[in-house]
Amino acid sequence: MSNALRPRLTTFAAALALLLLAAPFAGLAIATNWRHLGFAHGDGGAVAVSLGLSLVALLLIVALGTPLAWWLARHRVRGQWLIDALLLLSLLTPPLAMGLLLATMYGPYGPAGQLLERAGLLLTNSAPAFVMAQFYAALPYYVLAARAAFEGVPRELEQIALTLGHSPARSFFQVSLPLARLGLAAAVALAWVRALGEFGVVLIVAYYPQGIPVKLWVNLQDIGLSAVYPLLWVFFLVALPLPLALGLAVRRRLA
Amino acid sequence: MRVDYRIERPVALSASFEVEGFTVLLGASGEGKTLLLRAIAGLLPARGEPFDGLPPQQRAVGYLPQGHALFPHLNAWQNVAFALRGTDRRRQAVEWLERVGLAALAERRPAQLSGGQQQRVALARALARRPQLLLLDEPTSALDPATRDDVLAELIAEVHVAGIPALAVSHDPALAAVADRLVLMHDRRIVQAGTPMEVHARPASGAVARLLGLRNVFRGRLAGAAGAQRLLWPEAGVSLPVQTMLADGANVEWHVAPEAIVLHDAGMAPATAIAGSVELRQMSAQGRHVGLRCGQARLWASLPSGDVAAAVQLSLPPSAIRCWPA
Repeated sequence: MSNALRPRLTTFAAALALLLLAAPFAGLAIATNWRHLGFAHGDGGAVAVSLGLSLVALLLIVALGTPLAWWLARHRVRGQWLIDALLLLSLLTPPLAMGLLLATMYGPYGPAGQLLERAGLLLTNSAPAFVMAQFYAALPYYVLAARAAFEGVPRELEQIALTLGHSPARSFFQVSLPLARLGLAAAVALAWVRALGEFGVVLIVAYYPQGIPVKLWVNLQDIGLSAVYPLLWVFFLVALPLPLALGLAVRRRLA
Repeated sequence: MRVDYRIERPVALSASFEVEGFTVLLGASGEGKTLLLRAIAGLLPARGEPFDGLPPQQRAVGYLPQGHALFPHLNAWQNVAFALRGTDRRRQAVEWLERVGLAALAERRPAQLSGGQQQRVALARALARRPQLLLLDEPTSALDPATRDDVLAELIAEVHVAGIPALAVSHDPALAAVADRLVLMHDRRIVQAGTPMEVHARPASGAVARLLGLRNVFRGRLAGAAGAQRLLWPEAGVSLPVQTMLADGANVEWHVAPEAIVLHDAGMAPATAIAGSVELRQMSAQGRHVGLRCGQARLWASLPSGDVAAAVQLSLPPSAIRCWPA
């Protein structure tokens, strides 16, 4: 194959991939009845639930996932493969099955569920259950992406910070975190879209309160496609800005 | 300051020596020199003095690793200020940069600085920590050969002005040449220490001679009788008259200075002369040398003036041959 032909072929393949990606959304734009863009009852509430609770889930994911990701990036322990397997298992489990597993553990008859219920925390069809479902759905994605971000930080720089009189915690906040920020931003964006778009896990453990993905399903069942498209547009409108802005910021920095 | 450290892992190593002024620990690659510095800085599990048992953040060391390890997300003054506390950090950091002649570049990121400038920022940062001991890992490795001597001179001058003992580890004989004190490491132990003049005057072994960058260090064996001792040089397949205090039959390492080698004019060579062929001619600021092939060995000889033929006859004066037990 000639050298002149190779870039043209690459461009063609890239353009084809983009076209395939865009096709469903072009279909959505065509199928939407723009003159009668009506919303179903409860759509507004679903948007509030999705945004508010996804934000809570995201905060929990970042708060707990970041130390885990850093620890995994910096430590090698015996049986490391078990931790890797656990992360992969969380990714691998079909969302519906993960919902069932969560219900088994945290549901009203589950061992953890019964204990937590006694403590006043109901993890079925409640706001905490919704957050839990999103947490489980997005945490492994965040941890894997954040681990890669921390692995990209030269260990020597963290150690130099120690020799300059900083504690390990200060070294983490002053060196590791700023240097991993681009990768961490990508990890946050990934966790956000993963949490917000989660349907399977949420469907099983938190049918109520209804977030956008479940409400789309309910609208489809109760009303039909005409009630799905408007809510889907709103979903894009509220879900896209955060990952888009983070992605743009990362790319601008890298450039 | 006395340094006395013992490392078990990843390799077993122990070292005990004095650090005075600008001290250079000279050793070949793989000897564990970097490990020793990291152990002193507290970045590696080890026992020893000074700073025994303290975590790295409590050890008053200024550690300059190879490549300088400046924080890429901070500019020059912020890198220096990283070692400082209080609200006055910026002014102090710029003062430290002034001391190393880089105040004008205070706003630049490390990637915008040359290797020598990065080293000076790293030095300013290490000094700002107000250490009791400076640790420098291969300080000449990232320097441009054209400016290396100047950067080195400035570095050593700064160390002297700061009045802090500095330990630089290196395999670079050029760095050893400018040290106040020289410590030599071979087979993961200290084999000699002293001023550069002392060490150069009496290298303790062939390994030390090699570390010092001396050319023409070979292996051989002593043979013959008292008063008529000869050095068997298997690589070249010849024997040479020598004068040593070592016993016959001893395996030795030996050295002859390139300046001491006598190259004979055609037809004037004595019967005992060795045949050699010129492999390459080297012209440098240090003078003119020829690389001679003698059997399997390469022998370097100084070339005071003129040129030599492709095939030469040469002699090694017995008094110029120094032998060490191997």
